[in-house]
Amino acid sequence: MSLLAFLARRLSYAAVLVLAVLVLNFFLIRLAPGDAVEVLAGQMGGMTEQIRADLQREYGLDQPMLTQLGIYVSRVAHGNLGYSYFFNLPVTSLILERLPATLLLLVAALAVSVLAGTTLGVLASRKPNGPVSQLITLVSVVGYSAPVFWTGMLLVILFASVFPILPVSGIRSAAVSGSWLVDAVDVARHLVLPALSLAIVYLAQYSRLTRASMLDVLGSDYVRTARAKGLSERTVLFKHAFRNAVLPVVTIVGLQFGNMLAGAIVVETVFNWPGLGRLAFDSVLRRDYPTLLGLLFFSSLLVIVANQITDLCYRLIDPRIKTS
Amino acid sequence: MSAEATVRSEHPTREAARVFMRSPAAVGGLLLLAAILAVALAGPFVLNVDPFDITAAPLTPPWTGDALLGTDQQGRDVLIGLVYGGRATLAVGATAALISILIGIAIGALAGYFGGTIDEMLMRVTEFFQVLPALLFAMVLVTLLSPSLPTVALSIGAVSWTATARLTRAEFLKIKQLDFVAAEHVIGAGRNRIIWKVILPNALPPLIVSATLAIGTAILFEASLSFLGLGDPNRMSWGLMIGSGRSYMLSCWWGVTFPGLMIFLSVLAISLIGDGLNDALNPKLRERR
Amino acid sequence: MKRWLIVSALAAASCAMTGAAAKDAKRGGTLVMGQSVATSTFNNAVASGTGVMVPGAQIFASPLMHDDKWNPEPYLAERWEVAKDNLSVTLHLRKDAVFHDGKPITSEDVAFSIITIRDNHPFNTMLKPVDTVDTPDPHTAVIRLKHPHPAILYAMGPPLMPILPKHVYGDGRPIKTHPSNTKDVVGSGPFKLAEFKPGDQLVLERFDKFFIKGRPLLDRIIIKTYPDSQTSLLELEAGRLHMQPFFNRVLEIERAKSNPQLAITSGGYQAIGGINWLLFNNKKKPFDDIRVRQAITHAIDREFIAKALHKGLSKVATGPIHSSFPQYSPDVTRYKFDLKKAEALLDAAGLTKGADGVRLKITCDYYPGDEDGQKRIAEYMKPALKKIGIEVEVRAPADFASWAKRMAQKDFDISMDAAFAWGDPVIGVHRTYLSTNIRPLVFTNNAQYVNPRVDELLAAAEREPDADKRKVLYAEFQKVVTADVPLSWVTELPYHTIYSRRVRNVPVTIWGTASPMLDVALAD
Repeated sequence: MSLLAFLARRLSYAAVLVLAVLVLNFFLIRLAPGDAVEVLAGQMGGMTEQIRADLQREYGLDQPMLTQLGIYVSRVAHGNLGYSYFFNLPVTSLILERLPATLLLLVAALAVSVLAGTTLGVLASRKPNGPVSQLITLVSVVGYSAPVFWTGMLLVILFASVFPILPVSGIRSAAVSGSWLVDAVDVARHLVLPALSLAIVYLAQYSRLTRASMLDVLGSDYVRTARAKGLSERTVLFKHAFRNAVLPVVTIVGLQFGNMLAGAIVVETVFNWPGLGRLAFDSVLRRDYPTLLGLLFFSSLLVIVANQITDLCYRLIDPRIKTS
Repeated sequence: MSAEATVRSEHPTREAARVFMRSPAAVGGLLLLAAILAVALAGPFVLNVDPFDITAAPLTPPWTGDALLGTDQQGRDVLIGLVYGGRATLAVGATAALISILIGIAIGALAGYFGGTIDEMLMRVTEFFQVLPALLFAMVLVTLLSPSLPTVALSIGAVSWTATARLTRAEFLKIKQLDFVAAEHVIGAGRNRIIWKVILPNALPPLIVSATLAIGTAILFEASLSFLGLGDPNRMSWGLMIGSGRSYMLSCWWGVTFPGLMIFLSVLAISLIGDGLNDALNPKLRERR
Repeated sequence: MKRWLIVSALAAASCAMTGAAAKDAKRGGTLVMGQSVATSTFNNAVASGTGVMVPGAQIFASPLMHDDKWNPEPYLAERWEVAKDNLSVTLHLRKDAVFHDGKPITSEDVAFSIITIRDNHPFNTMLKPVDTVDTPDPHTAVIRLKHPHPAILYAMGPPLMPILPKHVYGDGRPIKTHPSNTKDVVGSGPFKLAEFKPGDQLVLERFDKFFIKGRPLLDRIIIKTYPDSQTSLLELEAGRLHMQPFFNRVLEIERAKSNPQLAITSGGYQAIGGINWLLFNNKKKPFDDIRVRQAITHAIDREFIAKALHKGLSKVATGPIHSSFPQYSPDVTRYKFDLKKAEALLDAAGLTKGADGVRLKITCDYYPGDEDGQKRIAEYMKPALKKIGIEVEVRAPADFASWAKRMAQKDFDISMDAAFAWGDPVIGVHRTYLSTNIRPLVFTNNAQYVNPRVDELLAAAEREPDADKRKVLYAEFQKVVTADVPLSWVTELPYHTIYSRRVRNVPVTIWGTASPMLDVALAD
C-alpha cells in the first residue's frame, strides 16, 4: 500500500474517531448530576423559578437529549464549541487562550524527558550490570516512583521556603515590563519547576523503556550478526540497535501525549500554571460542561494528531510492519 | 529462536528465581514491599483505633508530642493514618492494575494476532480510549460514579489499559511473523494455543515491564485523583491524606511528605521487583551473562 | 442609631473614605491583588460572589457608599432623601459623572439599573419592594416603594447596585448573558477593564474622567486568581502580590503574622456577615425532633473549632445574625459543649445505643470551596458525633453542583453550609428562615424550617423604618430561632485582608474591597 493510501485511510479513521469522541463526551457529561442552571443558581445564591425556566430554555436544556447532541455536533463541525457557562465566553477562545501555556509546558517537558531519557537508557544498556547502569536505573526508578504532584509539592516547599530563587506559581510576574527579553526570561524562570516536575516522570519511563528494549535488541540475531561481521560497537549500538530499540519509545511518546496532558492537570494545579490542564480541573469542579466538552474534544484532537504522527513514524522506522 | 525457547523451557522458574535473587535491587524491592504489606495488613489489628479520631492538638510537628510523625490539620495522628491508609491505597492500586492489564493483554493479543478487521476494530476501540486524556477521563468517571474505593479502582482500570494493549499488539505483530510461530502453524497447532501458549510467553518480557508500570501507575493514579479531591473521604488512604493535607503543606509538611513517601516507597518496591523480574525472565539478557 | 431617619447628607468634598488618608499616599503605581475565586462576569447587577463584587465595585459606581460604622455616604448620588411616609427615596445625582465611553450618567441609567437588579439579581429580597423608578429630570431619580424598605440604604451600596449604561445593556439582549458582562465593559466607576484572562488574571486601569477629582490614586490594579491560598501567601511573602482580601485560611494568616513585610486586618468585612452552620434536614427523621438537633448542637465543641482548628481566628457563632451587624443580639439560647446532656437528650428522643454503641448512622455533606470553614468542620463531625453514638459518613461533594443538587432536593441528613448577610438581614438572612422560601434551590430555607412567629417577625422587621424598633424585632427573632435550633451555628467566617506594608489606606469600610478603592495607594 502506498504511503498516500495509508495516510488517507488513517485520516478517515481519525474522522470516525473524532465523531465517536464527540458522542461519548456528550453523553458522559450529560449523565452528570447537576446541570448548568443549578450551577448558575448556586453562583448567584439562588434564583427565581421564572429565571430558571428562561435559562433552561436559553441553554437548550429543555430539549430532548438527541436534539441537544445534534446541535452540539453540528456546532462543533462549524468550529463553535459553545459558550462557557461560567465565563459566558466562547469556549474556543478560552481554550486558545490557554493553549500556548500548556504547549510550552508540554514541549519543554517532552524535550527534556525524551533527550535525557533515551540517552540515559542507551548508556545503561551498554553495560547492563555496570555501576553506571545501576545508578541510572536507580535514578530513573526513583523518578518514576515519585508521584508527580508530590515531587511538585516538595519542589514548592523547597523553593518557597528554603531556596526562594525560582517562582513557584503562575507563568509570569504580574508587573508589566514591556521588554521582550525580560518577559521571556521571566516566563522561562517560571517554567523551570513545572516542566521539571512533569519531565522527571517521563524521563524515568523513557530511560527504562530505552534500556529494556536496547537490551532486547542487543540480544537479537541481527545484532549478533552485525557484531560477528566485526562492525564497531558504536555502529552496532546506534545504527542497528537504537533504531529498533527506539520503536517502543516512539509508541510511548505518541501515547504519552494524552497522559502528559493529563499530567499537566496535576502539575498546573500545583504550580498555578494557567494552561488547559488547570482549565480542565476548574471546569470539572464548576460543572462548566461546554468548556469541559470543548477541552475533551480539543485534547482528543491533539492526541489523534499525535497518534497519526506516531503511526507514520512507526511505519517509516520499522520496515517489518506491513499494512496490507 | 525456537531452539532457544526449548532450552529455556527446562527450568524456567527456578533459573529465573535464581537470577532474581542475585540482584540486590530486586531483593531489596521484595523486602520493602513485604514490609509495607505486613504493616498495612497487620497494623490495623495491632493498633485497633479509628484513624479519623482526633488524638492531639492539630498541626503538632513530628517528634515533639505523643504522635511520632505529628498530627494533621484536624489533629489526627499521621502515623496511624499511614498504617491504616496503606490497605486502601494498595488494594485500589492492585485491583485497578489487574483490571487494566487483563483488558490490555486481551485486546492487544487478539488485535495483534488476528490482524485485519479485528485488529482495526480493536485498535479503534483502543485509540478511542487513548484519545481521552486518562486522568481527565478518570476524573469525569469518578465524579459521575461518586468517589469510593471501587469506583476509583474501576475508573483507573478502565482508562489505563491502552498502553498495555498497544505494546502487546506490537509484540504480537513482531513475533507472529517469526519462524517458530510458522512452525507451530505447520504442525497444526490451534489458534488458542498459538496465541496464549506460543506467542504470549515470548511477548512477556516487555509486557512485564509494562505490567510493573501498570501497578505503579495505578497507585500513582489513585493518589493523583485524591490529590485533586476525588478520593473516598470515608476510607483513610495515603492519597486522602495528601489530598486533604495539600492545602496545608507549607505549614504542615509532614502531613503530605510522609504519605507521599509511602506511595513513593511502594511504587519503588514494585518497580524494583519488576526490574528484577524483567532481568530474570529475559532469556537474551541471561545468555549474555 | 436611627440611620433610616437621617434623610439627607451633603456631599463630602473629596468623598467618603474612612479615616485620614495616609500622608505618603501618592498617586500612581500598580497594585497586584489576589483573589481565590475566579471572576466569571463583571456585571454585579446580575451576579453575586466576591469574584464578581470586588472587580464590579471598581468598574461600576453605585448611588451610595458606606463608612466603617454603617453610615451611608454620598457617591454617585450627592444627596438623597427618604420621604416621610417611607415609601420613596429621592436620589440627586452628580452632574459631572460620565461612563467609560464618555456618555453622561443620567437618572435614566439609574432607573434602568435598579429595575434590572430587582428583576435579575440573585438576592431577590434586596429590591423586591421597589415598584417603579421615576426620572423627573436627568439628575433626579425617585425610587417608589410598595412598602417601607429600610434595607434599601444598604442595597444601594457598591457591591450591590452598579449603575449600568442603559445605552449598552438596554439593547434588548438578555442581561445575564450579555456580551458586555465580560468584554468591552462600559463602566461608571473609578477603574476600567483593560484586560481579562478568564480564570487567570484581570487588569483594571484608572479612568481619567472619573467624577471624583484626583481619585483613584492607583494607575492600575491587577487581580490575579490563586485557587490555592498557600500560593497567594507565598506571592505575598515574595512581594509579588500586594494585597489579598477575603482571606480566611487560618494557617496562612498565622504565618503572615510573623512576616514583618506583611500586615493583617479583619476590618472591611462588617457587612459581609458570613456564618458557617450545620444544616439539619428538619423534615427528615430523626431531625424533626428538636431533642436530636439540640443533642448534636451540644456535642459540637465550638470552642475547639474556633480555638484549635481555626487557631482563634474565627469566632463562635451564637445565632443567625453575625455579631458585626447592628441587629445582632447576644441574648439567645446557647448550647454549651456537653456530651452528657447530649446523650441524655438522644436517650429521651428514643435513640438508644445498640450493642456496638451506635445509636444512629447519618451522612454529612458540606459546601465545597471553603476548606477551613466547611470541609474541616464536616470532617470534625465524624469523631465528634461518634462520642455520642452517632456514626457520621462524610459525603464529599465532587463539585459545587452535586452539593447544590442535594440541598435543592433535600437529599441530606446534615450538611455544613454558609451564607453571607450582605449589609442587611433582609438581603442575606431572611432567605434561610422564611417558611415561604422553602424552594428546590440551594441557599434557600433548606432546613425547611417553619415557624409562623418567625415569618411574622421577619415580615415586620423588613418594613420597620425605625432602626431601634427593628432591632427589637430581630432580637426576638434570634431568640426564637436559637431556641428552635433548625440549624446549628458554628463559627463566623474569619475573613481577613493580608497586605504588604507598602499598601496605604487598605479598605476597611463595611464592604472592604467590595467598594471602590479610591484612596488605596502604594508607597515605595
